[in-house]
Amino acid sequence: MSVAEQSYPDTDLHQRLVYGDETALAEVYDTYGPLVHRIARRVTRSPAGAEDVAQEVFAHLWSRPYAFDARRGSLRTWLSMLAHRRAVDWVRGEERHRKAAHADDATLHTIPTPDPPPEDVVMARERSLLLHSALARLPLPQRQVVHLAYFAGRTYRQAAVELGIPEGTAKTRLRTALRKLAEALTEPPDPALADAPGERGA
Amino acid sequence: MTTDHEAVRELIGAWAVGALMPGDERILAPHLADCDPCAAEATRLRAVVRDLDGPPVTAGPLPAERGLSLALRTRPAAPRTASHAAPYAAAVAGLQALLGELDEHGPWGTPVVHDWDVHDTIAHLLAADEPLAVRLGLRVAGEFDGVDGASWREAWAARTEEVLARERGRAPAGTVASWQAQAKALLSSPEAHDPELAGRATTLMGARLPLTEHFLVRAFEAWVHTEDIGRALDLPVPPPRTPHLWQLVRLAVRILGLALGSGTPAVALTVAGEGGEASWILGEGAEPVSAELVLDPVDFCRLMGGRVDPEVVPRGLSGDEAAATGVLTRAASLAWL
Repeated sequence: MSVAEQSYPDTDLHQRLVYGDETALAEVYDTYGPLVHRIARRVTRSPAGAEDVAQEVFAHLWSRPYAFDARRGSLRTWLSMLAHRRAVDWVRGEERHRKAAHADDATLHTIPTPDPPPEDVVMARERSLLLHSALARLPLPQRQVVHLAYFAGRTYRQAAVELGIPEGTAKTRLRTALRKLAEALTEPPDPALADAPGERGA
Repeated sequence: MTTDHEAVRELIGAWAVGALMPGDERILAPHLADCDPCAAEATRLRAVVRDLDGPPVTAGPLPAERGLSLALRTRPAAPRTASHAAPYAAAVAGLQALLGELDEHGPWGTPVVHDWDVHDTIAHLLAADEPLAVRLGLRVAGEFDGVDGASWREAWAARTEEVLARERGRAPAGTVASWQAQAKALLSSPEAHDPELAGRATTLMGARLPLTEHFLVRAFEAWVHTEDIGRALDLPVPPPRTPHLWQLVRLAVRILGLALGSGTPAVALTVAGEGGEASWILGEGAEPVSAELVLDPVDFCRLMGGRVDPEVVPRGLSGDEAAATGVLTRAASLAWL
């Protein structure tokens, strides 16, 4: 983590975003763009998908600056969670699209996508997506600490400082979150939950 | 070594995502070697993290260009103007951003200030921006311009009532669009871009000021009402950006100074806080200063906007208390918003 990134005053950036200063948007992009892209690529596994997600994330911040509330967390965590949720939605959208296209293919008797990936890669992708969907549904306090530790590479101490919580709480939340994700892998997925729209505004 | 099993166990989550502090590994590793349940949990949580990672992602470089084209298509930046109009441009952008939180079914009927809801407050701003638009030749003068001997306050209130009555028959989005179009026209006028052109003094709302100052008055009012709406919706509105805040402070000091004039005891006013500190002598300049007042810039603007009670506004005060509170009371009484 660079010093500049660490010391970025969210309230100053937010003020400038609210008052329509596009240089603040460029600064936010330069600071958090790599994090947003990393998350979007991890989840979408597609450079084009990641670019779409990143565009959406920064468009949302810019056009709806009041959706970010500095009283409820840092800009880093907020962008990270937004990127993640949008990326999960993007993959779900692609799946629906592919299924629809596949149905068309079936009626037309054409042969779908050449060169499908090996079975184990497909399985691993599905498991990953299942976990990311479960992560997107974790309660906010647990989700925040997972985002800081897993995606933003923070130690539990840094995460605790950023969230303004005791270190012990950060450790416990991380452990509880991962245990829940482990359970999600063993439970059959609930299709109703998987398709539930993400909450707005993180 | 006996380590507290409970305490060490709590580290497993952080360990699994690689978020330990240096040194923690030395405590955790021996414990995992000894404690089967913890070792099993560690294996399980590490596997979850590996599954989250998924198969390797082809890591390409980040796009060379900033991916902000969608953002800038979705919302234009505040227009660039000369510095006297910049606070108004920012205030308009800020209010638009706040209104972005209300869709057509949003809480437009939330009470805001006076007996206005959110929709009414925008309609009021639409009316309040009109006199400057008329003066800049952007619209035709109406009877509301107070030519029939009525005071500007009466004419102004009457015009607000008129516009409110009309706008209540429209959808909030229509009112917002009208307000926005008029604001955009003001900000596109040559006077918003040329300080020399905007240097001529003109009387609007009872105050004879250069047009540059009238642009600041518009910014002041837009910001105060944005704060009103934000308070009603529980969305904290940030103060104007520091240079803009101080432009508003200096405007407020000038208006207050004109209102106090000579004949009131001299009071030294210091405004200090975000962005610096400045002092002025208000009232009878020849007299020795009878009191000193210190106010925060945002509080001072709120006081001048009639949004904080002179009794309770946080202040530093020394000297003649009556003279100082006289200034505070006068400041609050000037509010026209």
